[in-house]
Amino acid sequence: MTVSTPRLKSAGIGAASLALFLGVWKAGSLFMGSSIILPSPEETLREALRLTAGKAFWLSLGATLLRGTAGFALSFAAGLLLGYPAGRSPLFRRFLQPYLTVIHSTPVLAIILIALVWFRTEVVPVFVAFLMAFPVIIGNVVQGIGAVDEGLVAMARVYRVGRRKRILGLYLPSVLPFIASGASAALGLSWRVVVAAEVLSQPVLGIGTGLQEAKIRLETPRVFAWTAAALLVSRLTEGAFSRLMRRLRNRRGA
Amino acid sequence: MSLVLQGVTKTFPDVTVFRDLSAVFPAGRVSVLLGPSGSGKTTILNLLSGLLEADAGQVLLGDRSPVEARVSYLFQEPRLLPWLTVEKNLDFVLPPGLPRSCRKELIAARLEEVSLTGAARKYPSELSGGMARRAAMARAFIFESQALLMDEPFQGLDLPLKLSLIRTFEAALEANPKTVLFVTHNMEEALLLGDEIFVLSQPPARVCLHLSHPVPRGRRYPGHEGFPELERRIFRALDPGAEPDCGPGSPRTPA
Repeated sequence: MTVSTPRLKSAGIGAASLALFLGVWKAGSLFMGSSIILPSPEETLREALRLTAGKAFWLSLGATLLRGTAGFALSFAAGLLLGYPAGRSPLFRRFLQPYLTVIHSTPVLAIILIALVWFRTEVVPVFVAFLMAFPVIIGNVVQGIGAVDEGLVAMARVYRVGRRKRILGLYLPSVLPFIASGASAALGLSWRVVVAAEVLSQPVLGIGTGLQEAKIRLETPRVFAWTAAALLVSRLTEGAFSRLMRRLRNRRGA
Repeated sequence: MSLVLQGVTKTFPDVTVFRDLSAVFPAGRVSVLLGPSGSGKTTILNLLSGLLEADAGQVLLGDRSPVEARVSYLFQEPRLLPWLTVEKNLDFVLPPGLPRSCRKELIAARLEEVSLTGAARKYPSELSGGMARRAAMARAFIFESQALLMDEPFQGLDLPLKLSLIRTFEAALEANPKTVLFVTHNMEEALLLGDEIFVLSQPPARVCLHLSHPVPRGRRYPGHEGFPELERRIFRALDPGAEPDCGPGSPRTPA
């Protein structure tokens, strides 16, 4: 298999960018001269390897993954269920608007602190992820419904196409690109808020719990290693989701 | 099933399209509706299909209202779902309870009628303009209905393609008879396809001319015997000022 020149060039530029980042990081750590303030890349890597060797890391990763997925799945389902009527009815949209504005404008930390009062520590990250991702999903679904070709809707009406078939065969495929981009943004957001909520709510297992514990013990390389783990989870899930959406679109020939 | 408008009034925010319009488009015939732009030709189709409601008067398809009746509609654009193949587009308008084998059979038959069997598994983006219109035509005929509404479906096509589509349409109509109401601006299409030709006046529109075509369907070219007189009368009706009956009626309702 031959690799085309533009792909090679793109990979080269990516590698150069990464090398520059690592170089600046290394220089910064040398300049600071303290691993508590800025650990070097190799220290971080060593710590990450040590971390991944233990069972607790994988359990924490799994717990965070579960919470993020649960929060995202809830917001995804609610966004679809409420987004369809909101997209079709300006009145319902108007009714929902104040709630969405409040959620959108409230600082995440305030929501986490309020959730800490209301829920068990295990549930707080799920609730916060749901609440933060929901406006993103519903916003995109409403936008997608608004972009549905009215000519196709009229065609389906004339040909007496039933409600179920109309939703699954016409609205859903039309809205799919909007759902995909909304869900991708919401998924990224979910991971960030789940980890933030874990830092404050301190469930038994979680990336956020690990981060907070490492920070209290001034183990900065470990903080960096946990951060890298969070980053990896975010990239992997977003990548998997994008692939899923692409496959769905291709299967429908859109 | 005849298509009936009885004393229909329809007003849009800036114009009264009809006031007390009455017309009967006879059962089993191809009625062609001609008229100046803005005379409400498409509005009549939308009233008959239930996409619009009349402000006053009665719209009937046989003895049914547009909400109860089933009609097929060939729009100006094919309006195919881009994410479905041609066969799935046809399947989309079939009733959900129909057995799978029956659906397949119906789809195959309609596609054959419009010479599109080879394109059954193609997506609309893979079809030429003519093929997409054939697919829309097959969809109109697969839908169980007694009437077919057509809104300039051959608009913008070159003459050979248009003639080929008209012949395909005639064959499909022969196999699946329906009452047809065909809106067009094009005299050739009107003369080739129309059994009954209706001309609408300027708005508020009324039928200012109704002619029955003396030549049976299967007409081949406008120079055919019987065409010139028909053509002359239609031309005169459409020429502003030439036919007093078809000129501006009551002035437009002020916005």
